[in-house]
Amino acid sequence: MPLAPIELGFVFLLAALGFFVPLLLIASQAKRARSLAIALVIGGNLIGCFVAALCFWRESNPLLDLSRFTPFPFALGIDRLSALFLLLICTVAVPVAIFAASYFDNHYGEHRRNWMWAFFSLFLLSMIVVVTASTGFAFLVGWELMTLISAGLILMEGDSAERCHNVFIYLLMMHAGAAAVAASFFLFLPYSHGLGFAAIRTASAGVPAGIRTLIFLLAFVGFGTKAGIIPLHLWLPRAHPIAPSPVSALMSSVMLKTAVYGFVRFAFDFLGGGPSWSGYIVLLAGAVSGLLGVLYAIAEHDLKRLLAYHSVENIGIIYLGLGTSLVFLAHHQPVLAALALIAALLHTFNHALFKSLLFLGAGAISNATQTVDLEELGGLQRRMPVTGATFLIACCSIVGLPLFNGFISEWLTFRSFLAGSILTNTKAQIVLPLMVGVLALIGGLAAACFVKVFGVAFLGRSRSAEAEHAVEVPVSMQGGMIMLAAACLLIGTLPGILLHPLASLAQVLIPGGGVPEETLIIARVIPWIAAIILGVSMTGALLKRRERMVRTWACGLPGLTSRMQYTSTGFSKPIRFVFSSVYKPDRKIDRLPADQPYFPVSITYRSVRTTSYEKTIYRPFVEMILSAAHQLRRMQTGNIQVYLLYIFVTLVSLLAFLRFQK
Amino acid sequence: MGLVEIATGKVLSSFSVFLFLTILLLVVARRISTSVLLFSVQSAIIAAEVFATGFRERLAEAYVVGALILVIKVVAIPRAFFSLVHHLKTSHDVNASTTPTQSVFIAATMIYLAYAAVHSYGQSVHVPEDALAAAVALILTGAFLMVSRNKALMQMLGLLVLENGIFLAALTTTFGMPLVIEIGVFFDILIGLLLMGIFTFRIRDTFDHLDVSKLRRLRG
Amino acid sequence: MKVAINVLQALALILGAPLVRGVVARFKAFLQRRQGASIWRPYSDLAKLFRKEDLVPPTASGVFRVVPFVLFGTTICVAAFVPLVQPSALLASGGDFFLFVYLLAMGRFFLSLGGFDGGSAFGGMGASREALVSSLAEAPFLLSLVAVAILASHADIAGMVAWTLQQNIFNISAVHILAFTSLAMVVIAETGRMPVDNPTTHLELTMIHEGMVLEYSGPSLAWIEWASAVKLHAMLALLVALFVPWGMASSVSVGAIGLALLLYCAKATLLMVLLAVIESGMAKLRMYLVPDFLGVASAVSALAVIFTTLVKR
Repeated sequence: MPLAPIELGFVFLLAALGFFVPLLLIASQAKRARSLAIALVIGGNLIGCFVAALCFWRESNPLLDLSRFTPFPFALGIDRLSALFLLLICTVAVPVAIFAASYFDNHYGEHRRNWMWAFFSLFLLSMIVVVTASTGFAFLVGWELMTLISAGLILMEGDSAERCHNVFIYLLMMHAGAAAVAASFFLFLPYSHGLGFAAIRTASAGVPAGIRTLIFLLAFVGFGTKAGIIPLHLWLPRAHPIAPSPVSALMSSVMLKTAVYGFVRFAFDFLGGGPSWSGYIVLLAGAVSGLLGVLYAIAEHDLKRLLAYHSVENIGIIYLGLGTSLVFLAHHQPVLAALALIAALLHTFNHALFKSLLFLGAGAISNATQTVDLEELGGLQRRMPVTGATFLIACCSIVGLPLFNGFISEWLTFRSFLAGSILTNTKAQIVLPLMVGVLALIGGLAAACFVKVFGVAFLGRSRSAEAEHAVEVPVSMQGGMIMLAAACLLIGTLPGILLHPLASLAQVLIPGGGVPEETLIIARVIPWIAAIILGVSMTGALLKRRERMVRTWACGLPGLTSRMQYTSTGFSKPIRFVFSSVYKPDRKIDRLPADQPYFPVSITYRSVRTTSYEKTIYRPFVEMILSAAHQLRRMQTGNIQVYLLYIFVTLVSLLAFLRFQK
Repeated sequence: MGLVEIATGKVLSSFSVFLFLTILLLVVARRISTSVLLFSVQSAIIAAEVFATGFRERLAEAYVVGALILVIKVVAIPRAFFSLVHHLKTSHDVNASTTPTQSVFIAATMIYLAYAAVHSYGQSVHVPEDALAAAVALILTGAFLMVSRNKALMQMLGLLVLENGIFLAALTTTFGMPLVIEIGVFFDILIGLLLMGIFTFRIRDTFDHLDVSKLRRLRG
Repeated sequence: MKVAINVLQALALILGAPLVRGVVARFKAFLQRRQGASIWRPYSDLAKLFRKEDLVPPTASGVFRVVPFVLFGTTICVAAFVPLVQPSALLASGGDFFLFVYLLAMGRFFLSLGGFDGGSAFGGMGASREALVSSLAEAPFLLSLVAVAILASHADIAGMVAWTLQQNIFNISAVHILAFTSLAMVVIAETGRMPVDNPTTHLELTMIHEGMVLEYSGPSLAWIEWASAVKLHAMLALLVALFVPWGMASSVSVGAIGLALLLYCAKATLLMVLLAVIESGMAKLRMYLVPDFLGVASAVSALAVIFTTLVKR
C-alpha cells in the first residue's frame, strides 16, 4: 500500500529515532557514526515538525497500523490534538538536541556519550508514541517506556545512594500513576470491545454515569501524578534537578505535557466533559499547585530545583484553564469552553518553549561555572552575553510580560475567568472571577522569583571564583538557546499564527463552539505596543551620549565586595516571612564558642524546609496499606488442611451462588 | 423641599454601603479611640437613616428616636469611652488576636453570609434587603469584636455594635418600634454600660490589667 | 479627528505628568506649613538631568542601560490606555485592563533588575522590597478592575467608561465604592507614596523605589523619573475615568472638549488634594505592615467582586 508523503515522513521519524540511531551508536564508537546519529536525530525531528505542522494547520489524519506485528492492537495516528503535541515535542527537541551535541561532549566520556544519545533518541521516541497512539496498548507502552528511559538517563549521570533513592521514588510514583491510567482505560472495556480510540469515543456515550465519574477521577489522579499537581508532585523536585540539563529540559517541558495531553484526551475527547463539580476539582488542583509551587520555588536557591517547582506552578496554571473549560462545558457554553481550552493548550505550548530554554540556560551556566547554586553565581551577563540575553527572554516569558509568549496564554486565561461572570449559577459567578485574583498572585510571585534568579545569577558582582572566570558556551549551545528565544518572541508578538489553528482544534474537541473573539483582539493590539516600545528604545539609544564609568558609592568604605550584595536567600526573606504559615522551616543556629554569645568565632545557620506532605498524607497511607497487608498474612497459616479448607469453601459457595442466582 | 427629597432618597438607598465600610474599618482598627470614633460614625449613619425613614413615612416619633440616638450613641457614649480610656491609663492598643488581613477576610465572609441569609428570607417578606443584611452583618461584627479583642473595653464596644445591629434590624422589619420600647431599650443599655464601667475599674484595680484572655482564675 | 484627540490625550498625560508631581508636592508643603517649591519645579529638574552626563557603575551590563528606555516605553503605552476628555483613547478599544496592569508589571520587572546591576546592597534591598509590595498588589489591582468590568460587561477601558457615563451619578453602588477604595490603596502602593513608601526620603534604609534607582544619573535618571510621574498621572486619570467620568465630551466639538478638559482638571486636582492629605496625615508603614495594608485591599476587592453577583440579579 503506497504511503502518502506525510505518512512517509512520520515513518522516517519513528524509524530514525527508534532504530537507526540506537543501532549506530551501540554498534560503533567512531566519531563519524556519532555525528551521523546526531544529524539523524535533528533531521528526524525537523521532519517531524513539518509533519505535525501540516497536520495541525490543515486537516489530515495519517494512520499507521502495526497491529499485524504485535499481540495487542498497536496503531499510531495523528489527529489535530496529537499534531499539536507532536509539534511541541519536535519543536523543542531540535534546539535541545543541538544544545546537547556540545553539552554531552563536554561532560561525558566516549562510551557513555553514545549510550546517552541512544537513550535520548529512545526517550523522544517514547514520547512521540504516547502522543500519537491510537490504541490503549500503544499509549500504555509509550507511557511505561517514557518512565523507564528517563530513569535510565538519570542513573547514567551517576548512581550514588541518594540518586538511587530519588530515582526509586520517581519510579514508584510513576508506576502508581500508570496503574491509575491503565485502570481508567480498562474501565471502558465492557462498553467498547477493544481499546482503539475511535471505538472508545463512540462507546463513551453508553457508559453509565457512575463509571464515567470513576474514569474521570482515575484519569485525573493518574495523569496528575505524571503532571505534578500538588500533592502528587513529590517526585518532581527530586528527579528533575539530578538529570543532565538537556534531559531535564525535555522532562520538564515535554514529558509533563504528555500528561496534559492524556488528561485532555480523556476529559474532552472521550468523556466530553463531566459534571460541574469535576471542573471545580480541577480548578482547585490548579490553584493549589500554582500557589504552592511558586511559593516553594521562591525559597529555593538551587537553580534546577527552583525551575522544577516552577514547572509545578505552570502545570497549575494549565489546570486552571482546563478546569474553567470543564465548568463552562457543564453549563453548556461551548464558545467560552473553547476559549478556556485554547488558553490552556497555548500555555502548554508556551511553557514547553520557555521552560526548556530556562533549563538549557541552567545547563550553560553549569557548563561555564560547574555549579547551579545561585549563591555562587553573579555578574554572568557581562561574561556570557548570549546566554544572559536568551535567559532574560525566558524569564520575561515565564513571568508573563507583554510581547513574550507567556503573556498571551495568561491573558486568555484571565479573559476566560472574566467571562465566567455571565453564567447564571451563583457559585460559578463568584469562583471564576475570584480566580483572577489567584492567578494574579501567582503571576506576581513568579515575577518576584525571576527577578531574584536573573538578578542574583547574571547581574552585579560575581560571588565566587568560578563565576568570575566564566566563559561563554560553544556556538552550538548558543544556537539551540537562540532558536528557542526567537520562538518565544515570535509567538509573543504575532500570536495569531498559533491562535487560529488552536481555535479550529478547540472546535473539534468541543462541538458547537465558535471562535472566541478575544483571540482576534489580542493579535491586533500587541504589534502596536511592540512598535511603541521598540521605537522608544531605539530613539533613546540613538540620542544617548557618551557615558562615564564611576565606581559605585560604598558609603566611604574602601570598596564593595561581592558579599555585600543581596543573596538569593536574603531577597526572598520578606516573601517567606509573609507566607511563613506555608513554609514552617526547621531552624538551627550554632554559635561557637557557646559561652561567648557576643564574640563568636563562627556561627552556623541551618534552615531546612520540611515538606509536610510526606508526614501528613503519604506516611498514613503507606501505614494503612502495610497494616492491611499484615492482616492478610494471617491467611497463610502454613497448614495444608487449612488450604484444602479454602478450596472446599470456594466450591461450596460457588454452588450456593449458582443455586440462589435464579 | 425637593432637595430634602433627593437627600432622603440617597440616604435610604446607599446607607448600607457606608455601614459596610465602617464594619470593615472597625475590624482593622488598631486603637481603641479609632474604634470608638467608627462606632459613633456608625450610629450617626443609623440616625440619618431613622430621620430619612421618618421623613418618608411621616412618623413623628421617628424624629424623637433619631434625636435620642444622636445624643446618646453619637455623643454621650463615645465621650464616656474616651474619658474611661483616659482615666484607666491603659494602653491604646486593641489587643486583637487576629491579624488585620484575617480580620478583613472574616468580615467579608460575614457580610456575604448576611446577604445569603437575608436573600432566602427576603423573598417572602417585603423588606429592603440591603438594610437587613447590614443589620445582620453588624450583629455578627459585634460578636466577632467581642470574641477576638482581648481588652475589656473592646468587649463593651462589641456589645454596643451588636445592639446597633439589633436596633437596625428591628427598624427595617417593623418600620419603627413604639417609642416606649425604644426608650426602655436605651435605658437598658445605659445601665448596662454604667455597670460595666464600674466593673472595669474594679478589674483593673484587682488584676492590674484589662486583658480578658488572662482572666482565667475561675477554672473548673 | 477622534484619533487626533486621542493622540493629544496621550501627550497631555505624558507631558502633564511632572506638573501633577509638582502640584502634589506643593499641596503637601501647604499642609505642612512650608513654602514649598514651585509647581513647575519637576520640569526644570528633568531639564537639568537631561543636560548632565550618564554615570555608570563598573558592574553594569546591557540590562542596566536598557532599563530606562523599557520603563519609559511601557509607561507611555500605559498612558495611551486612559481616556481623559472623551470616552476613548489610543489603545483603549483593543487593549483591556489586563494589558494595562501587565505593562506596568513589565516596567517594574526591568526596574528591579536594574537595581541589582549596581552591585551594591541598596539596589538589592530596594528590589527585594519592591518584589514583596508588587507581588501582593497585583491581586487587588486586577480584582477591583474585574469588579467594575463585570458590572459594565466590557473588559476594554473605553467600554467601561462608556457604561459608567450612562449610569445615574446618584446611584452609588456598593461595588463601585469598594472597588474605588481598593484601587486607591493599590495606587498608593504601586506609585510608591506614603504610607507605603516615602518618595522624598534620603535614608537608604527606608527606600523602596528610590533604592532601585540609586545608581542611575543624568538622562537615564530623567527617563526613569519621568516614567514614574507618568505612571502616577495615568493611574489618577484611570481612577477619574472609571469612577467619575461625567463631563466627558460625547461629540468632537471645541466647546465640549474644552469643558471636558476643565472638568478633568478639577477632578484630578481634587484627587491630588486627597493624595496630599493622605500622605501628610499618615506615617510610613513599617515594612512588614505593608502586607497587612495590601491584604485589606485584597479583601475589599474580593468583596467587590462578590457583590457584583448581588447587584446583577
